[in-house]
Amino acid sequence: MYLLRSSLSRNLHKFMAVPAFLLFSVFFLYPLLRGIGLSLTDWDGISSANFIGLKNFINFFKDERALNDVKNTVFFALGSAPLLNIVGLVYALMLDGNLKGRGIARAIIYLPAIISPLIMGYIWYFILQPERGYFFHILKNMNLEHLMGNWMAYYKSAMWMLIIVNVWQYAGMTMIVYLAGLQSIPLELYEVGKIDGAGYFSRLYYITLPLLIPSIRINIVTNIIGSLSVFDIIMALTEGGPGYSTESLSIYIMRMCYGSKTGYSTAVALVLFFIILIPVVLSLRIMNSREVERI
Amino acid sequence: MNIIGRCVRITGIVFICFIAIIPFYVLVFFSLNAPPRVFYEGNIIIPDFYFNNFTEAWVSSNIGRAILNSVIITGGSLLLLIILSSSAGYTIARFKNKFNKTVFTVLLTCMMIPGIINTVPLYTVMRSIGGINTRIGMILVCTTNALPFSVFLYSSFISSLSREIEESAIIDGCTWFKAFWKITFHYVKPVTAAVVILNGVSIWNNYAQAVFFLTKRDMYTIPIALSIYFQQYAGAKWNLMAAAAVLGVIPVVTVFLLFQKYFMKGITAGALKG
Repeated sequence: MYLLRSSLSRNLHKFMAVPAFLLFSVFFLYPLLRGIGLSLTDWDGISSANFIGLKNFINFFKDERALNDVKNTVFFALGSAPLLNIVGLVYALMLDGNLKGRGIARAIIYLPAIISPLIMGYIWYFILQPERGYFFHILKNMNLEHLMGNWMAYYKSAMWMLIIVNVWQYAGMTMIVYLAGLQSIPLELYEVGKIDGAGYFSRLYYITLPLLIPSIRINIVTNIIGSLSVFDIIMALTEGGPGYSTESLSIYIMRMCYGSKTGYSTAVALVLFFIILIPVVLSLRIMNSREVERI
Repeated sequence: MNIIGRCVRITGIVFICFIAIIPFYVLVFFSLNAPPRVFYEGNIIIPDFYFNNFTEAWVSSNIGRAILNSVIITGGSLLLLIILSSSAGYTIARFKNKFNKTVFTVLLTCMMIPGIINTVPLYTVMRSIGGINTRIGMILVCTTNALPFSVFLYSSFISSLSREIEESAIIDGCTWFKAFWKITFHYVKPVTAAVVILNGVSIWNNYAQAVFFLTKRDMYTIPIALSIYFQQYAGAKWNLMAAAAVLGVIPVVTVFLLFQKYFMKGITAGALKG
């Protein structure tokens, strides 16, 4: 008994990943597999499930609301990513290098990113409401209130508002990644550029941007992955409205689950999974090629 | 740099800071206005300083309870996350057996999959183990979400540390298991800080999953409590809605401002690895 215990305690280090793996299996791997099974059934969450083959997926591609949600989700992600990167990069370039108070400025710019996107959505609701919102009153004070539209009530403007709020909130996060990338560029390169008579913008174009390409790629891909599961901000600003026009796939999943179409909602989740897989595979390839570049 | 360039740059920085902060001002402005305020008459900068909004919102939104729940869930998740992911990261970095390699590959593959994909089948798991509307259930869900990235951070950091830091303790008769908790764990403090900061924010703000698993009023976290409160008024009482939101935002903003330096360091470390 003593021998057994002592040999166990001497080998305990080999099993230190077991608790983490157990938790991950029960709360991630098992549900993932179960979700694949459920997606082939008509389960409503209460009564027994019947196997219906691929019918849920066929119904998904026949459902206009679902296809519109795919379009919105992809549009939101592809619209947010370039804007986030341009804004984040400009912010990073402005805050790079020695400057008094840059730490505080960085923290202020990062601040929106730590707030729940749901609460952020509500704050922007206070700003953007027609007739009552803060922005309306600013315009009114300048006698420009005719410029204010009911932006949340129309599909196109509502989508762009969601993107703008998202960019505003997470520009600081993208900025941080670029700042880290900028720090890795050797200063001598800039000195050489200066000696050769290159101005600020040609140094930016010929030195900074080419050397930032790894950060740019990583940022774009992670932004797209993050934006594809967008949920909170839409719930707060439009609740998917007007109608279901600005709904995203993750909101659709929740609504179908509550609407006792549990089997169907797991099928939708799998569709979203395959959409997200595209940028994920891309990101893994980028990371691998980055390793190669280092060697 | 020349003086004009410097001035342009500083003006630009002040401007973007202003853009980042003005929505917060709007929120505070609305939260301090008296209910019948007609602020159309020119003044959109100085509020009424009507502090009754906060006491009323505190009582009617039950936000105090929600803050407590958020603190317990975030704190519990982070504690569990640190214990599980640091020990897993250690054994993966130090002992390359088959099991450890498999675990690491599985975690890396799943790192990028967002929680929403799993939430519906997870709901059935949670129901069968009685985890719905319990803080411990939510803690387990949040910890699982954060596991892959945290294990990845710990294991890559520990790989970069020399084995010698443990070996001297092993010679003194310590086991590898004890050596980790007694010695290595102190060396990985920077990673622990990054794990706490990066995951603390996302656990604190979790809404997409909390909305499934926490449906009883007593169990609401801050985002859920606020969304219910907002739906209740359907846009009618902005002063109270804004006051409740301010109360919900205060804890995280305070922590951020107090530990701002560590925050920015941790985020940068996470960004470099990611």
